[in-house]
Amino acid sequence: MLGPRFGRWLDQRIPPAPSITLSQRNVFIFPTRTGFVFGGLLALLILAAINYQASLVYGVAFLLGSVFLVTILYTFRNLSGLTLELVGSRPGFVGEDVEISVRVVRPGERGRRRRGREGIQVGFPGGIMQWVELQRREADTVRLYVTGRRRGWLDPGRMLVETYYPLGLLRAWTWVDLDARALVYPKPLFADLPDLMYGRRDEGELVDPQGSEDFTDIKAYRPGDPIKHIIWRSYARGEELMVKRYASYMEPRLWLDLDQVQGGLEERLSRLTGMALTACRLEREFGLRLGGTELAPATGEAHLERVLRELALHGL
Amino acid sequence: MASEGEAMPAGGARGGLRTGARGGAARGRGIAYQIPRNTLALLMIAQVAVVLPYLLHLSPWLIAVGLFCGYWRSGVYQGRWDYPRRWVKAVLVAASIGGVALTGVSAFSLEAAASLLILAFALKLIEMKSRRDAYLVIFLGYFAIATLFLFDQSIAVAVYQIGALMLVTAALVGLNQLVTRVRPLESLRVSALLVLQALPLTVVLFLFFPRVAPLWSVPLPSSSVTGLSDRMKPGDVAELTRSDELAFRAVFAGEVPPKRALYWRGLTYSRFVEGTWSAAGLLPEWGTAERPAPAAGASGIDYEVLLEPTSSDWLFGLDLALPATPGVTLERDFRLTAPDPVLSVFRYRVTSYPDLGMDQAPRLPDRLRIRETWLPDDGDNPRVRAYARSLMSAAGGDAEALVAAVVAQIRSEPYFYTLSPPPLQDRNSIDEFWFQTRRGFCTHYAGALVFMLRAAGVPARMVGGYQGGEINPVTGHVMVRQYDAHAWVEYWLAGEGWRRVDPTAAVAPARIEEGLNAALSPEDRESLSALTAARFDGVGVFRDLLYWADSLEHRWNLWVIGYDTHLQADVLQDLLGEITPARVGLALLLAGGASLGAVALVLFWRRRSAPRHPVEGAFQDFCRRLAGAGWPRRPDEAPASYLRRLESGGVIGADQAGALVAEVDRLLYNPGAGWGRQDLRRLRSQLRRVRLRAALGARR
Repeated sequence: MLGPRFGRWLDQRIPPAPSITLSQRNVFIFPTRTGFVFGGLLALLILAAINYQASLVYGVAFLLGSVFLVTILYTFRNLSGLTLELVGSRPGFVGEDVEISVRVVRPGERGRRRRGREGIQVGFPGGIMQWVELQRREADTVRLYVTGRRRGWLDPGRMLVETYYPLGLLRAWTWVDLDARALVYPKPLFADLPDLMYGRRDEGELVDPQGSEDFTDIKAYRPGDPIKHIIWRSYARGEELMVKRYASYMEPRLWLDLDQVQGGLEERLSRLTGMALTACRLEREFGLRLGGTELAPATGEAHLERVLRELALHGL
Repeated sequence: MASEGEAMPAGGARGGLRTGARGGAARGRGIAYQIPRNTLALLMIAQVAVVLPYLLHLSPWLIAVGLFCGYWRSGVYQGRWDYPRRWVKAVLVAASIGGVALTGVSAFSLEAAASLLILAFALKLIEMKSRRDAYLVIFLGYFAIATLFLFDQSIAVAVYQIGALMLVTAALVGLNQLVTRVRPLESLRVSALLVLQALPLTVVLFLFFPRVAPLWSVPLPSSSVTGLSDRMKPGDVAELTRSDELAFRAVFAGEVPPKRALYWRGLTYSRFVEGTWSAAGLLPEWGTAERPAPAAGASGIDYEVLLEPTSSDWLFGLDLALPATPGVTLERDFRLTAPDPVLSVFRYRVTSYPDLGMDQAPRLPDRLRIRETWLPDDGDNPRVRAYARSLMSAAGGDAEALVAAVVAQIRSEPYFYTLSPPPLQDRNSIDEFWFQTRRGFCTHYAGALVFMLRAAGVPARMVGGYQGGEINPVTGHVMVRQYDAHAWVEYWLAGEGWRRVDPTAAVAPARIEEGLNAALSPEDRESLSALTAARFDGVGVFRDLLYWADSLEHRWNLWVIGYDTHLQADVLQDLLGEITPARVGLALLLAGGASLGAVALVLFWRRRSAPRHPVEGAFQDFCRRLAGAGWPRRPDEAPASYLRRLESGGVIGADQAGALVAEVDRLLYNPGAGWGRQDLRRLRSQLRRVRLRAALGARR
C-alpha cells in the first residue's frame, strides 16, 4: 500500500511510538474526488456568473468556495489533538484475525460545551476501517483485526487514521506507527491423537476410558462402541448385545515433543499446537520440548499461552 | 421492501480502506450502502426549500412534480413505498421533458434550462441510493440555488437562499456523520456555523475576485420579463400599468428635475403594420457631424440608472442623453443601447442635455426621412389619412399648427383616458379609435397623432418609455415602476430637429403632472393590483415601510448586484490606490488569510487544554518525568497499580508505597475528602522523592 520511499519518509516524519498525538506535523489533508467535482461545480457557477453578469451567482460560488476553505480547518481540527495509544494485542492463529486495540483520546477543551469529534475511522492496511466514537466520550478503544498469515510476530504496519468530516470534500489522514505487534500462533492441526499422548505404563492415576489395554468391565452396547469389543457369544445366546470395556492407565504428564511428530517443521509445529489445545481442553498436564527449550508440564490458560508462544516463535 | 436501514454495522458501511471505494456502495462487501436517514430527511426538506421559490418563475406543475418526488421519497424513507422501477423512471423522465416542451417556453430559454434542472433534481432524489447519488443530488441542489438568482436577485431572495444553502449543506454534513446516528439538528448546527464562518471570506472574494466581461454573448435569455416590448399594440401599455414591478432606479447627482420633465426615452417605433407599432427596421449609420455634441461649458444633468433586467439591450434616459459608461452606445434615433441584453441589474451613467437638439440640420437624411414617414398601403385607415391631409391644408402646411389642431380636437371633443379601452380591429384601428370609440390610453393617442403627421408628410415616430417616477425620500433616488410606462410622439421640424409632443397631456393632464394615479377613473383604480393600489393610497407607516424597503433594495442593487467590472475598478482604486495584478493578488491573499485566520482562531481557541485538577496535574507531571527515567505508565494503568508496579520494580520503598497509594487514591478519587494546599504540597514532595530515587536508579 505504501511505497518504500514514502514509507522511509514517513518513518522520519512520524517516527514509531506507542503513543502519538496528532498535530499539523503529522496530519495530511487533500481534497477527495468529490471535492474535485465540487470544484468543477464552482467553476461552472463562475462561468454562469460571468456570462449572465449575475453578482449573486458569483456570490453563491464564492460562498461555496469559502465553505470549502473553512472546511479545511474543520477537517484538520477533527483529527488534530487526538492522541492514539496502543493498548495491546491479542494473539491469533495463522489464518485467523489477531486483535490490536488502540485507544483514541480526545484532548480536553475549554468552553461551555465541549465539541466531540465525528466521523473518524482507523484501520490497518488490509483490515476493515473502524469508526471511532468520540462524540460523547472522551476516549474510545477500538479493536482492529488483522489476518495472521505467518506464525511469529505480526507487524501490522502503519495504521491509517482518516476523516472526511464535515463535508466529505476533503480527507484528512495520517499513517501512524504505534509499534504494534501481535503474536500469530501456528495453525493448529488436529490429527488423530497419537499414542504418545497416552502412557504405556500401568501406573499413574488417571484412567483413559478409551484405552484398549486392560479389560475392566462389561456394559450394554451403544452405537459407536468398537465392534471388536462386542461379546458375540452372549449375543448368540439370545441375550442383549454387550461389549467388553478396556482401559489403560494414562501417564498424567504429557510431553509435547517436536522430535516425536512427523512432517516438516511447520507441520510439526502445527501438530504440536493442535495437541496443546486439545490437552488444555481435556485439562491434562502437559509440557513442551522444542529442541533446546523445555517447558515443564503444567495446566491452565497461562501455561497454554506460554507453550503457544514458544511454538509461534520457534526458530524465528 | 426497500426501506432505509436504521442501524448499520459501522465499518462495513464505509467500505474498504481505499478512498476510491467511497464513491459507490461498499463494493464487494455484500452490504448494500444505504444513505443515512439523517441526510435523507434533511435532503427532502432542503429540496422543498430549493424548489419552492421557483414557483414564481416556472410553471407550477414542475414544482408539483418536484414536491411529488419528495413525497415519494419520503414514502420510500418510511418503508411504505418502493423505489421506482426502471420503466417508471423512463416514463417519468420522458413525460417531464415532454411537459417542459409543452409548457411553451422556448427550447433555448433560461426557463427551459431551469425547468430541466429542477426536474433532474427532483427525479434524482427518488432514485437516489448510493453515496454518489446523494452527492449528485446535493450538488444539483447547490446549482438550483444559484440558478434562481438569474431570475431574481433581491435581498429577500438572497437571504432565503442562504437558508436553503445551509439546509443543503446540512444534508452534506449528515452524509459524513456516523451512519448509526440520526441527528439532524447537529448537522444543521454544523452547517449553519460553516456557512456563517465562510461569510467574511465570501465578502473578500466578492470584492477582490477579478470580474470579467461575458465570455460569449448568447446566454439563454429569460423569455418572460415584464416591461416594454419592441412591438406595441395600442392596448399593451395599459396591461403594463397593472404591474408595480420596478423598471429602474435613477440616482441624480444634483436636483431631480420636475416630474413633468421626466420623459424616460427608451424605444422608437417607426413601423406600423396591422395595427401594431414596432421598432423593427435597420437604422442608418451616423453621418459626419450628425452626432450631437454639447456646447463647450454646457452643464448637463448627471445621473446613474440601475436598470432591472429586461432581456433586451435598450436603455432609458432623459432627452438628450449622452452615455458616460463605456459600452453604452447612442443609436441613430438618439436612444441608448447596452452592449448585451440586460439580464441582471445593469448600471450606467448618463449626462442629459435638455436643450441639445436632435437632427437639427435643415434636411433629414433620406433613409431616415423614408423610415419616419412610412405608412402602410392606402387602404389602411383611409378616414384618418383624409382627415390629417385636410387639417394640414387648413394649417397651411405647418406641422406645428397641425399638431395644435389635433391636440385642440382631443381637448374639445369627448375623448377619454382609460386603462380599459374597448378592443380595436387590427385593420383600420386608428379610424375606429379616432372617430368611434374615442377612449384610449397613451398609445392610442400617440399612435393616432404619429399616423396623422405621417399622412400629412411630416416625419414622426412614436416613442416608448416611462414618464415620471417617484422620489424615495429615504435615499433620494427616483423609482420608476412599470405602471409609469408611457408612449408619446416626436415629429421633425426643419432647423429645430425632433420635437416631443405628448397628446396624453391633452386628454389627461394629471397623468403627466402627478402620475398615473391622478389620471385614473374609479373603475380603473379598482382593476389595479392590491400592492399597486397600496402604493398609491398608502398612508403613514405602511408607505414609509415601502420607501424604506425600497431604499434598502436600492443600496443592495447599488453595491451588491451592480458590483460589476467598472464598480470593482472604482472600489479597488480607492482601496489599493493602483490596480495591478500583484496588488489585487496580495490584497486577496491578505484579506482572505485574515478572514480564514479569524475562523481558525475561533476554532482552535477552545482547544487549549482545560485546567486540570491540581492533584491530577501533579500526578501526570510525575508520570511524565518517570517515563523519562525509564518507567512509563501504561495507558490502561490506574495510578494505584502503576505505583504498585514501581514498588515491585524497587523505585518506591515498600514502606513508602502503601501510604503513597492511599494518599493518591484519596485525593484523586474521593471527592468527599476535602484537600488543601497542605495536602498538595505533601503529595508533591512525596512524589519528588520517588522521582529522585528512580533517577538515581536509572543512572546506576
